[in-house]
Amino acid sequence: MFDVFFASIAHIGSTPSLIGLSLTSVLIGIILGALPGVSSTMALAILLPFSYAMPPESAIIFLIGIFSASVFGGSISAILINIPGTPGAIVTQFDGYPMARSGRAGEALSYALLASTIGGLLGLLVLSVVAPLIAAAAIQFRSPEFAMAAVFGLTMLAYASPGSTFKGVLVGCIGLLIGMVGFDKLTDAPRFDFGTKVLQNGIDIVPLTVGIFGFSEVLINISDRSRGIERLPSFGRILPPIAKIVRLGTTMFRGSMIGAFIGAIPAAGSAIAVALAYTQEQRFSKKPETFGKGAPAGIVAPEAANNACVAGALIPMMTLGVPGDTMTAVLMGALLLHGMRPGPLLFADHPEFVGTVYGSLFFAIGLTLIFGFVAIAMIVQLMKMPRHILMLVIAVLCVYGSFAVRNTMSDVYVMMFFGAVGYCLHMLKLPAAPIAFGLILGPLLEENIRRSLIISRGSWSVFLERPISLILVLLSAAALLYPVFDWWRKRAKQ
Amino acid sequence: MVWHIGRKSIQTLFAASFALALTPAIADDFPAEPITIIVNWPAGGGQDTSARLIAEWASKKADVPIVVSNVTGAGGANGIRHAAEADPTGYTIGIMGSSFVARGYLNANATPIGDVSPLVFFGPDPGALEVRADAGINSVEEYIAKLKAEPGSIINGNDAPGGSSHIVASVFESTFGVEMTKVPYQGYAPTVAAIISGEVQSATLPVHQLVDQHKAGDVKILAVAAEARHFLVPDVPTFKELGFDFVAGDWRALFAPNGVPEDRMAYLETLFMETMSDPAFQEAAQKAGFMVTPMPADATKDWILAHDEAVYPILLDAGLVKANMK
Repeated sequence: MFDVFFASIAHIGSTPSLIGLSLTSVLIGIILGALPGVSSTMALAILLPFSYAMPPESAIIFLIGIFSASVFGGSISAILINIPGTPGAIVTQFDGYPMARSGRAGEALSYALLASTIGGLLGLLVLSVVAPLIAAAAIQFRSPEFAMAAVFGLTMLAYASPGSTFKGVLVGCIGLLIGMVGFDKLTDAPRFDFGTKVLQNGIDIVPLTVGIFGFSEVLINISDRSRGIERLPSFGRILPPIAKIVRLGTTMFRGSMIGAFIGAIPAAGSAIAVALAYTQEQRFSKKPETFGKGAPAGIVAPEAANNACVAGALIPMMTLGVPGDTMTAVLMGALLLHGMRPGPLLFADHPEFVGTVYGSLFFAIGLTLIFGFVAIAMIVQLMKMPRHILMLVIAVLCVYGSFAVRNTMSDVYVMMFFGAVGYCLHMLKLPAAPIAFGLILGPLLEENIRRSLIISRGSWSVFLERPISLILVLLSAAALLYPVFDWWRKRAKQ
Repeated sequence: MVWHIGRKSIQTLFAASFALALTPAIADDFPAEPITIIVNWPAGGGQDTSARLIAEWASKKADVPIVVSNVTGAGGANGIRHAAEADPTGYTIGIMGSSFVARGYLNANATPIGDVSPLVFFGPDPGALEVRADAGINSVEEYIAKLKAEPGSIINGNDAPGGSSHIVASVFESTFGVEMTKVPYQGYAPTVAAIISGEVQSATLPVHQLVDQHKAGDVKILAVAAEARHFLVPDVPTFKELGFDFVAGDWRALFAPNGVPEDRMAYLETLFMETMSDPAFQEAAQKAGFMVTPMPADATKDWILAHDEAVYPILLDAGLVKANMK
C-alpha cells in the first residue's frame, strides 16, 4: 500500500490549496478540541456540512485534519485547567495539571504534543503496514475478551494509588456503582434512577470528570481564602530537556501500541485506551508514587495512546466497514454522503482513496506538531490572567462543557454534584482518579460479562476457552498474586 | 459534486449556537428565525445523517437556516421529550424512529404517542434476515427449519429490547412460531461487528448495514422484510416474494410538539413534503443508503398508529410493557 501512500503525500504536498485546507482543518481541530464539551465527535459533526460542497479528496483531508488535531487540542484544557477537552484527554490531566500547577505548564504541553506526534505516526505506520492483520486480530476481541480486559483494568486499579491501595480500591468501587445508574445496557430497563428523569440519563464520563477535577478545583480555590488573589504559577520553559524526552521513548511506544490496538477494536473507544495505557505505565514505572503528581510518563503514555487510537479506529472502518469509535462513525457517514462506501472491498476497488486517507493523516499529524508549538507560545500569554478571573472562566467552561455533551441540563447537575464530591475527596485526602476508571470499566465489564454468558448459555468456561481471554485472565491473576509472591520470595531469602 | 451548498451552510452553522437559546416571539410571517430539528441519537447515526440531509435541503427552500441539534440519552427518550415539550411555535421540531413507539411502553417517563403531532414521513429502513456465510444456512426455509428442530439454536444479534432490530427479531419469532437466542448489543455498529466476528450467527439489521459484507460473500442477506426489494441489493428477494407475510423494520418521520398553530403546521408540512419529493434530494439520500417515501401528516399519523397496533401485542407477549398498558 506504500506506493499509493507516497503518491498521495506527493500530491497533497505539491498542491498548495490542499496544504491550505489541511492547515485550516488542523487549526479548527485544535481550537474545538481544546473547548471543553466539544468532543472530537462533535467537532466533526458540526463541520460536516462544510465538506458536502467539497470534492471527495478535499473532504477527506478536511475531516481527518479536524479529527486528528482535535485529539491534541483536548489535552490543552486538560493540562492547563484540569478539564478534559475531549473524552480521550480524561487521563492526561492526572499528571498534566499537577505539572502545570508546579510551574511547568510549558513542559507539560510539549510532552503532550511530542507524544501525540509520535503516537499519531506510529499509529499511521501500524495502519498502513498491517491494517488487514490487525483488523483480523481486533475482531477476535469479542464480549468475553472485553469482559476480561475490564477485569484486567480493574486489577490494575489496585496499583493506581501506591501507598493507599485500599483507598484507591474503595474509590474505584464508588465508580463501579455510579456506572450502574441509568438504563440497563442489556435489557434497556431503567434502574437506580429513583424515578427521576435526571438519573435516567445515566452518569456520563465527561460531566463526571469535568465536575470531579475541574469544578472541584474552583470550589477548593473559593474555600481557601488565605491565599487571596494569587497569580498563576509561572509557565516555565517550553521544551523539556532532550535527554528526558529520549528516556520516555519506550513509554511512548507502549502507549502507541495500546492505543492503536484498542482503537482497532470496534466500539472500544479512546477513553478505554488511555485508561489502560495509564494504569499499565504506572505498573511498569520504577517510581509509581510520582504518578498523579506530575510524572512526565503519566502525560506521555495516554497522549501517545489517544493519538495512535485515531489511526487504530480507521483500521476496522477501512477494512471491515465497521467504525472503530463514534468519531469514525461520523467520518463514515460523511464518506457515505460522498458516495464512498468503506468496507471489505475498499482496498481492491479504491486504492487511491486509501492512499488519500493515509496522506491526509500524515499531513494532519505534521501540521499539528508545528501549530501545536505556536499554540503553546500563545497560551503562555493567556495564562498570565489573574487567578480569580481564570477560576470564573473555568466555572463557566465547566457548565458549558457538561451541557454541550448531550444538550441537556441534567448533565450540568451531575457535573455540579461531582464537583462537590471532588471537593469532599480532596478534604478527605482520597484519590479521585479511580472513580473515573471505575465508571469507564464497570459498564464495560457488566455488559460484556452478561452477554458472554447469554452466548455461552450460562457456562463460565467461555472465559478460559478463548485464547486472548485466557491470557487476560492469567495476567489479572498474576497482577493480583504478585504482592503475595513478592512477600514470599523476600521471606525465603531471609 | 451533486450538491452545491454555498453561504447558507455557513449561516446554518452560526445559527446553530443561537437557535436553542432563542424563544421566538409569535411572528407574522413564519418562518422568520432558524428552525431546529432535534435528533434523539448521537451525531453520525442513521437518524442524525437523515436529519442533516433534510435540514440541508429544506433550508434552501425555507429561506431560513434549518439546524440539527442532538439531544441524546435515556435510550432516545430525552430528545423526543425535548422536542415534544418545546414551545409550540414551530421553530423546534423533532425526528422520530420506530423505537419511539416501543419506548413509550418500556419507560414511564417517555413521551406517549399522543403528545406529538406527526409532520412528514421520511421513509422506511426495512429490516432483513442476515446469516453468516459459514453458518450453512442458505434460505429462509432452512433457517426456520433449524429453529423448529432445535429452538434457540441460532444466536441472533440485535438491539436491546425495544430497539428496532430487536422488534424485527421478535416479530419474526411470533410470525413463524420459532425461538432464537436473542443477544442484545448497543446499537447497529456493535451488532455488525458481532456478526462479522462470528460471535452471533445471524442478525436482523436494516439492509444497508451489511450490504458490503453481502457482496464480499461473508454474510448472506436471506430476505428483506419489506413490500419491495431494496435498491442496494436488488438480487435479494423479499419475504413476500418467498411466500411469507413478514414486513418489519425501522422508519423515520418528522414531528412537531402539540399546539403549533395550524397555518405553521401547514407551512412545515408543505416545506418538508416538497423537499423530500425533490428527485435530486432522493438521489442524494439514496447515495447515503436511505429509501425516501414521503407521506403527508395524516398518512404519517395513520402509519404510526398502525405500527403501534402491530407492535403492542409483541411487546406485551415479551413482557416489555411496563407503562401505558392498554
